[in-house]
Amino acid sequence: MSLAISAPSSRAWLAGLVSHAALIVLTLLLAYLALRAPNFLDAQNLTAILRQSAPLAILACGLSVVVIGGGDDVVSGGIDLSLPAAAVLGAGIISYQLSVAGSGLGTALLFGLPAVLAVGAANSLLVVGIGLTPLLATLATSVAVSGLTKLITSNRRINVSNRAIDWVRDGDIGGIPASMLLALLVFAGLAFLVHRTRWGAHLQAIGASRAVASLTGLPTRKSVALSYGLAAAAAAVAAIAILARGSGSSPGSEEPLLLEMVLATFLGGAFSRRRIVTVWGALLGAVLVTALSTGFALLQVNIFWVSGIKGGLILLVLVAAALDERLRR
Amino acid sequence: MPLPLAAASLAPGLTLAMTGIVKTFPGVRALDAADLDIRAGEIHGLVGENGAGKSTIIKILGGVYARDAGDILANGEVLAGGAAADMHAIGIRIIHQELNLVDHFTVAESVFLGQERTDRFGGLAKRRMRREAEAFLRDVLECPLDGQTLIRDLGIAERKLVQIAAALIDGKARLVVFDEPTAPLAAAETGRLFNAIRNLKARGVSILYVSHYLGEIVDICDRVTVFRNGRHVAVLDAPNPTRTDEIITWMIGRQLDDLYPAAAVRTADGIEAEPSFAVERLGDGRSFADVSFSLAKGEIFGIAGLIGSGRDELVDGLYGLRPPATGRVTRAGRPIRLDPALAVQSGLVLVPRDRRRDGLVLDLAVTDNINLASLDEVSTAGFRRERRANARATRLADLLDIRPRSVGTRAGLLSGGNQQKVVLGRWLAAEAEIFLLDEPTIGVDIGARAEIYRLVRELADGGATVIVSSGDAAELIGLCDRIAVLVRGKLVEIVRCGEISVDGLIARTTDAAGQRVAS
Amino acid sequence: MTQSSFVSTLGRTLAGGLIGGISLLALAAGAASAQDLSLAGKTIGVAVVGTQHFWDREAFKGATEEIEKLGGTVVPTDGGRDNQVHANNHDVFITRKVDAVITILGDASVDPKLKALKAAGIPVFTVDHLSPEAVNNTASDNYFTGSQIGILLAKAIGGKGKVAVFNAFSGSLQFCGVRYDLWKYVLEDFPEIEIIKPELAEVFANSPEDARKQTLALLEQHPKGTLDAIHVACWDQPAIGVVQAIEEAGRAGDVVVTAVDAGPETLEIIAEKDSPFVANIAQQPYLIGKTAAENVARHFAGEKLLSQTFVPVIPVDGPEEAKRVYKQLGYGTIN
Ligand SMILES: Nc1ncnc2c1ncn2[C@@H]1O[C@H](COP(=O)(O)OP(=O)(O)OP(=O)(O)O)[C@@H](O)[C@H]1O
Ligand SMILES: [Mg+2]
Repeated sequence: MSLAISAPSSRAWLAGLVSHAALIVLTLLLAYLALRAPNFLDAQNLTAILRQSAPLAILACGLSVVVIGGGDDVVSGGIDLSLPAAAVLGAGIISYQLSVAGSGLGTALLFGLPAVLAVGAANSLLVVGIGLTPLLATLATSVAVSGLTKLITSNRRINVSNRAIDWVRDGDIGGIPASMLLALLVFAGLAFLVHRTRWGAHLQAIGASRAVASLTGLPTRKSVALSYGLAAAAAAVAAIAILARGSGSSPGSEEPLLLEMVLATFLGGAFSRRRIVTVWGALLGAVLVTALSTGFALLQVNIFWVSGIKGGLILLVLVAAALDERLRR
Repeated sequence: MPLPLAAASLAPGLTLAMTGIVKTFPGVRALDAADLDIRAGEIHGLVGENGAGKSTIIKILGGVYARDAGDILANGEVLAGGAAADMHAIGIRIIHQELNLVDHFTVAESVFLGQERTDRFGGLAKRRMRREAEAFLRDVLECPLDGQTLIRDLGIAERKLVQIAAALIDGKARLVVFDEPTAPLAAAETGRLFNAIRNLKARGVSILYVSHYLGEIVDICDRVTVFRNGRHVAVLDAPNPTRTDEIITWMIGRQLDDLYPAAAVRTADGIEAEPSFAVERLGDGRSFADVSFSLAKGEIFGIAGLIGSGRDELVDGLYGLRPPATGRVTRAGRPIRLDPALAVQSGLVLVPRDRRRDGLVLDLAVTDNINLASLDEVSTAGFRRERRANARATRLADLLDIRPRSVGTRAGLLSGGNQQKVVLGRWLAAEAEIFLLDEPTIGVDIGARAEIYRLVRELADGGATVIVSSGDAAELIGLCDRIAVLVRGKLVEIVRCGEISVDGLIARTTDAAGQRVAS
Repeated sequence: MTQSSFVSTLGRTLAGGLIGGISLLALAAGAASAQDLSLAGKTIGVAVVGTQHFWDREAFKGATEEIEKLGGTVVPTDGGRDNQVHANNHDVFITRKVDAVITILGDASVDPKLKALKAAGIPVFTVDHLSPEAVNNTASDNYFTGSQIGILLAKAIGGKGKVAVFNAFSGSLQFCGVRYDLWKYVLEDFPEIEIIKPELAEVFANSPEDARKQTLALLEQHPKGTLDAIHVACWDQPAIGVVQAIEEAGRAGDVVVTAVDAGPETLEIIAEKDSPFVANIAQQPYLIGKTAAENVARHFAGEKLLSQTFVPVIPVDGPEEAKRVYKQLGYGTIN
C-alpha cells in the first residue's frame, strides 16, 4: 500500500522545505523585485542600498555576537534588544555636543561613544552578573536608554553639520560608500573574533550548550559578558552611521531599527550550512532586508504593507527554525 | 599489532591517590569518604551500581565539581587546587559519560574544542586542525571521518570516538578517564577502542575505566575498585572472568542468581502464520534496503548489527523518525503509518536510544517522569486506568531500584543510569501490544539490568511483541527468541537464539563486513 | 541670529491685522490663472513623510491629482511618518530618473538627498520644507499663522494666565520656528501671560497618544487655577490627545487649547459645545499640494519662480467659525 510509504516521505520533503523556507521566500521576493521593480538592479540603486544598510548591518553584526554566545533560543537565548536604543543614545549625545554644546567632533565622540559602551556593560552585569533573562533585561535597558536619549535631546531633533560626519554620509573610497566601509570594518573585526579565533570558537560552544562548555572547562561567564561588550562597541560605531545618515539625531529612530536588526540577524542563520546565526549571515541579512525595503519603495508598495511583510518574514524565520529543530529529531 | 599514536612521545603515567573524598548535593551524599588509588601505567577499573558515585568522583577529578573534603595526591604531591585548568595541566583527560559535543560543530572543531591550534597571527589554523583530527581518528581510533562533517550527522558511536579523540589529541595525557565509553558502541568499535586503550597503556599512560560491562572490566583492567553508596567497598587485584560473581556481590551487596530470564514459551515455528507485526521489503534508499521479517505475539525479536550496518537507521525508520522510502509495515495484517506522534494511539511503544534527550523531562521530579505515560492515559481512559498505571509505575520504580527515590529529586540530577531507568520504567509501564526498545540497558547496572530483562520477558509472556535493537550480543542472545543480523544495510540472516553463541553472533555481524573483532 | 531678527521685523508688520493675509491670497489666486500649464510626458516623484495625518494626506493628494490632471505621471513614496524612511525614499527618484520631485515635509535628514537629486539634474520642489537645493518651497503663510494664533490665545484667556506649549520642532523645522517665534512675539505684548518652562516636546509619530500622557502628567503638576492654556506650536495632531487628557482630568472649562493646522478632525472637536479646544488656524493643505504641482509645470514652461510661494490660511475662533470653515474648505457640514 502506498499510504504507508508516501506519508513519511512527504515528511522528509516537508522537512527540507521548512529548513529552507526563509531562503526560498526571500529569494522569490528578491527575484520578483529584480524583475518587476524598475531599475532595481541599477548600479545607482545598488549603491543606495549599501549606503542605507550600513547602520542596520553594523547593529546586526553586533547582535549576532550576542546570539552566538547566548544561544539562538528565541526566549532564553542570547539577545540584545537595547542595541538600537544605545546607538541612538550615542547619536543623540554626539549631536547634542556638536550642535547645542558647540564642542568639536573629538570631544563629542568622547562623550557619546563611552555612553554606548556603558549600556553594554549594564547588560553584561544584568545578564551575566545577576542572571536575568537576556530578552527581558535588554528590553528594560532599551526602554531606559530611550528615556535617557529623550532627556538629553529634550525629545527634539538635533541637526548636525560637520565635515567628517558628512563624509561618512556622502563619501566613498573606490566607489564603496564610506558608511558601508564602516560596516565592513565592524564586520571584519567581529567575524575574525568570532569565526577565526579561539575565543570565538569557545563563544560558539558556550552559546550552543552551556553544559558542553562547562564540561570542557571553558570560561562561560567571561565570554558571554564580553559578547555584550562587543555588541555595544558595534552599537557605538552604528551611532556614527546613524548620525551621518540622518544628518543629526531624531528621537524614536531606534524603533524601526529594532525589528530590522532582529530580522536581519536571524535571517542570516538561514544562509549558513549549519543553520546557525553567523556574523557574515547578519551582514548579508541586513543588506537583503534593506534591498527589500528599497525594492518595495520602487514598486510603490504601501509602506504599511512593507512593515507587514517584514514582520511576516521574521515570523517565518523563527517558525522555520523551531520546526526545523523538531523535524530533525 | 600496536597502533601508532599521533603524538610520538607521551608523558609518563600519573600516579593518583584520592582519599576521603566527600561530595554532597542537596539531599544526597554522592561521595562519602571515598578512596580511589591509581598506579602509574595501569588500567584501573571502577564499578558500582547506578548512583554509586562513579561519575561524581570523575567530575571532581576533571574539576567540574569541587570536593567538599578529601585529598588528591598526584605523583605523591598534594594537589591544592581542583579547577578544570589545574587538572588539565597535570595531564588528566576525561571522556565524560555525557556526550560533550556541540551538534552544529564539525568533527575537527569538536576534537580541538578548548585546545584550538592557532597560526602566527592568533587566528585558528582550521586546515591544520582538520588534517590532524582526521589523521588521529583514522590512525588511532580506526574511524575514518571527514573533519568537516557536522556532529549532528554522526551516529552516537562516532560521536563517542570524536569525544575520545578530543581528550587524547594533544598527546599530553597522563591519566585518561573513560566513563562508560563503550555504552553506545558495538562489538567491533569496542574492539577498536580497547586497542587504543592498550596502546595508551603501552606508552605508560594511566587509565581509569568505568563500565557496567563486567566482561570488559575483567578483560582489560589490571585492578578494579568497587563503589557502593558513595564509598569504596573493595579493591580487587588481577581480575579475571572467574571473579565477576565476586565483583557483582560487592557491587549490589547480594548475589545475583540469573541475569537473563527463562522464556516461558519459546516461540515455535507455527506462529508466524498469524503475525502481529510485519515488515515487508523496507528500505530508506540509503542505509538499508529490502528488510523483511514478521513477528508473532509473545515474541522477543532482536536486531544485531555494527555501526554502518543500518541498524540505527532501520530502528529510526520503524519509529517513523526517518521515513522509509520503500516497503511497508503492517500490524495484524493492516498497513500502519509510521509516525511517532501516532504510535501511542496505535498501540506501539517506542523507547528511543537517546533517552536523556528524547524521553526525560529533566526539570520534573522522578515520580512525575515515571507517571508521564500514565498521565497521557487519563485523557483517553479515565480515572480508574490512571490509578492502575500509577500503581504499576510505582512498582517499577521499586523494582528498578531508582535512587534516590525521594519524590522531590529532579530527574536531571540523577546519575546517568538512574535516568535511563526512569525513562524505561515509564515506557514499560505503558499498556501496548508492540514494544520497540532501542538499546534498553545502556548505562544500567547489572542488578537493574536483570530486572529489566525480567520485565521485558513478562511483557512478552503477557502477549506483547517486543523488538530489541542492541549492540550487546550477549544481551540479545540472553533475551531474545530470534535475532535479525544486519550487515551493510542488508538483513543477512535471522538466527534462533538457542542455536548460536555470543562469539558466533559477533562473528556474523562482523565477518561479512570485513572486520575482525580485535583482541 | 539674523533669522530671528528678520522674523521679528516681519512679525511687527503683520501684527497690525489681516492685510498681509489678504494680499498673499491675491498673489496665489493670480498665479493660478495660467491656462496653458502642462506636465504631459513628464514623470514627477512625490515624496510624503506620511499619510496617516490629514494634512500630509491632503497635500499629497493635491500634488498628485494636479500632476495627473496636467498630464504627468506620478511616482509616489510614503515615509510612514518616519523621517529616515522618507529621506531614503528619495533614492528611488534617482533610480527611476524622474523629471522633477515634489517633497512634502521632512526634516534635515532629507537635505543630503535633495542635494543628490539636484546634482543628478533633477529639480526639487518642496512643500513646507525650506532647502537651498529647492527651486521653490510652497507653504502656508506661517508668519500670519503664528501671530494670529497668539492673538486668539490671548483673547481666549483674557490676556493673562499661564500657558504651556508643546514645541518639539521649532529648532529643526524652519516653518515651525516661524510659527512658534511669532506666537511668542505677540504674547510679549501681554505681560500677564506667562509661558511655563520647561516647554513640552511632542513626538512625531503616534503623537496624540503621547501628548495625552504628557498632558495628564502636566495637569497633575499644575492643579486647578495654575494653568490656563495649552498651545501646540506647529500642528494640531497632539492637540487631540491634549483635549482628551483635559476632559479625562475634568479640567474642561479651566484649561483651553489652541493649535494650528485645523484639519477636519480638529475642526470637529472645536465645533463641540463647551470644547476646551478654542482656536486654530486652518491651512489649506490640498491647495498647497496643488500649488506645488502647478509650480513644477510653471518651471517647465520656463517661468521664473520666487523661492517661496505662500498659500493663505483662515483663522478659526470658536465653534461657530469652526463649523463655517469646515464647510468652506469642503469637508462637509457639522450640525
Ligand atoms: N548535580 C547533582 N545534583 C544533585 N545530585 C546529584 C548531582 N549529580 C549527581 N547527583 C547524585 O549523586 C549520586 C551519584 O551520582 P553519580 O552520577 O556519581 O552516579 P554513577 O555512579 O555515575 O551512576 P551511573 O552508573 O548511573 O552513571 C546520585 O544519587 C545522583 O542522583
Ligand atoms: Mg555515571
